[in-house]
Amino acid sequence: MTIPLLETHDLVKDYEIGGEVVHACNHVSLSIARGEFVAIMGASGSGKSTFMNMIGCLDVPSSGTLLLDGVDTKTLDSDALAEIRNRKIGFVFQQFNLLARTSALDNVAVPLIYAGLGYAERRERAKAKLEEMGLGNRLENTPAKLSGGQQQRVAIARALVTGPLMLLADEPTGALDTQTSLDIMGIFQKLNDDGITLVVVTHEPDIAEYAARRVVFRDGKVIEDAAVKSRRRATAHA
Amino acid sequence: MPNILGSLAGWGVNVAIAMTALRTNLMRSILTTLGVMIGVFSVILAVAVGNGAQVSVTQQIATLGSNMAIVVPQPDSGSGPPRPTDRGRLTERDGRAILRQVSGVSAVAPQIRSSVQLVAPGRSATTQATGATPEYGVVSNVTASEGRFLTEGDVSAAARVVVIGQTVSDKLFADANPVGETVRINRVPFTVIGLLESKGSNLGNDNDDQIVVPITTLRQRLLTTATQGPDDVTLLFVGFDDEEALLAGQVEIKRLLRDRYRVPKGRINPFTVRTTTEIAETTGQVTQIFQAVLVAIASISLLVGGIGIMNIMLVSVTERTREIGLRMALGAKRSDIRNQFLVEAAVLCVIGGAIGLILAMVAAAIFQQLADFPAPIGIDTALMAVAFSAVIGLVFGGYPAIRASRLSPIEALRSE
Ligand SMILES: Nc1ncnc2c1ncn2[C@@H]1O[C@H](COP(=O)(O)OP(=O)(O)OP(=O)(O)O)[C@@H](O)[C@H]1O
Ligand SMILES: [Mg+2]
Repeated sequence: MTIPLLETHDLVKDYEIGGEVVHACNHVSLSIARGEFVAIMGASGSGKSTFMNMIGCLDVPSSGTLLLDGVDTKTLDSDALAEIRNRKIGFVFQQFNLLARTSALDNVAVPLIYAGLGYAERRERAKAKLEEMGLGNRLENTPAKLSGGQQQRVAIARALVTGPLMLLADEPTGALDTQTSLDIMGIFQKLNDDGITLVVVTHEPDIAEYAARRVVFRDGKVIEDAAVKSRRRATAHA
Repeated sequence: MPNILGSLAGWGVNVAIAMTALRTNLMRSILTTLGVMIGVFSVILAVAVGNGAQVSVTQQIATLGSNMAIVVPQPDSGSGPPRPTDRGRLTERDGRAILRQVSGVSAVAPQIRSSVQLVAPGRSATTQATGATPEYGVVSNVTASEGRFLTEGDVSAAARVVVIGQTVSDKLFADANPVGETVRINRVPFTVIGLLESKGSNLGNDNDDQIVVPITTLRQRLLTTATQGPDDVTLLFVGFDDEEALLAGQVEIKRLLRDRYRVPKGRINPFTVRTTTEIAETTGQVTQIFQAVLVAIASISLLVGGIGIMNIMLVSVTERTREIGLRMALGAKRSDIRNQFLVEAAVLCVIGGAIGLILAMVAAAIFQQLADFPAPIGIDTALMAVAFSAVIGLVFGGYPAIRASRLSPIEALRSE
């Protein structure tokens, strides 16, 4: 048996609001293997983002265990967690989260700063990733001069530039129109074909059908976890 | 080795990030820098002016002469209302007694000082006249650069001769050589026999604005106040062989004068005896205090500048909380975030400090030109300016930077 890329045991996150405890994540035990493409669904407030933030090492669980590549994250200090975020995990956000007034190239190069790479190599790698995303002619554009779809592709290039094992995307198509959303899912499918593990939160059942496995949350608990039956294939990426 | 290169590259990146951030809010950055600039400017200038004062005072004291005691009569104002007889007296005979009885004394120079009016054809001047003996030249290091100084003969004959300072000469004779010319001092004609060697000016005090005449002549012909006795002097300069003799001699002079004037035990001396060593020490202390006060006042503006930096850095951190969260999500360590903001503060401070230093140097140069007052800015002062700005950056940028680095990634990312 190989070690799963990601494993949670009784993962809990409680928030206290006005003396009342909200179980945003309530004893979630889940295992995701290398190369999986998981869609996470559920009503608003069901705890999807809370779960994603914990497995992305952005947030600390109230209790329970999170194993990344077999390593218990409880044993890691903030520097080690930063290194995991830098090397092993790529994040894609609903609102793209690009640095304003900063070129696409420099945006994509940011994670490489923290990986300790020199200037020339940062530019080289960032350029290559942007070209892979079909943005070779947009290197010097600032986010304000890019469409939503283009911005999200810059963000994906940034998530991929350090060569992570896993991409975490919280509603990556939430701010995009239908066609652009399908383009993005096409990109994800291609990345998955190339071996990258993907976890994508989405509200839209259509979008979820591009994944291979579907996990549904309700009130902080997993209520459904099954393979997607009629999986969709996106034809190509733009 | 790769580690060092890596960390250097990391700092380079931080400078680049800082420059971008500062350019984004250019006006704000400039105004913040202005605070540090003014702070560094005033501290450096204060140090320079303080140094200048110290130099001036040292020079001024050097012009007095060395290993010398100055004896001045001092009215006893300790008991009851002052009466004319309270006025301390000092005579040439006291001077001779000191020369005879106090050991280590090389010369005594009795002097009478009086303000006089000088008239040369077509011009006039008011200055301070010192009635003196040749010993004055020996004890306080005064010589004639043209002509000659006073002689015993001038004094015993009460000759109407005068040695004038450079400033007086300029006023009365312009560029011409004054030696041999006649001047009227308080309407009495005198022959100029010499020009005093120039001692320059210090702290607005012109050492060349004076004349020297024989003490006898001054007493007989120029003094208007009749209150003085025939032998009275304004003060005595007592020259000693060396500093050791001076220290012992100061006490001896006091004892001798108390005896001579029969000052009862418990009454304070009707005269003061100050040594050049003492004068140098106290004025040195005074100028040091002067400098400390100046620097303290100037430091307040530096402090205000530093608080400005802290304020702007806190604003910057707050504004960019989301960016901080994002950078953390992309792999920035706490130290990376901390360094980023530290460098930003340091860049602000170093730019401000550099401009402040340059402005201070310009101001010091102008000051020197206009006020004839040295305000030296040495390498040490310049280094201090750089160190100052760096410390300000670290101290006042440190808190916001550490605060930024302590944010939790998710809290930072969620903030608006
Ligand atoms: N920082 C927080 N403080 C307090 N409560 C929180 C916090 N973050 C989330 N919650 C609560 O935890 C629960 C789960 O929130 P979460 O954001 O994970 O839901 P979600 O499934 O991502 O919803 P959506 O689909 O709207 O994004 C909600 O009830 C929410 O109010
Ligand atoms: Mg959410």
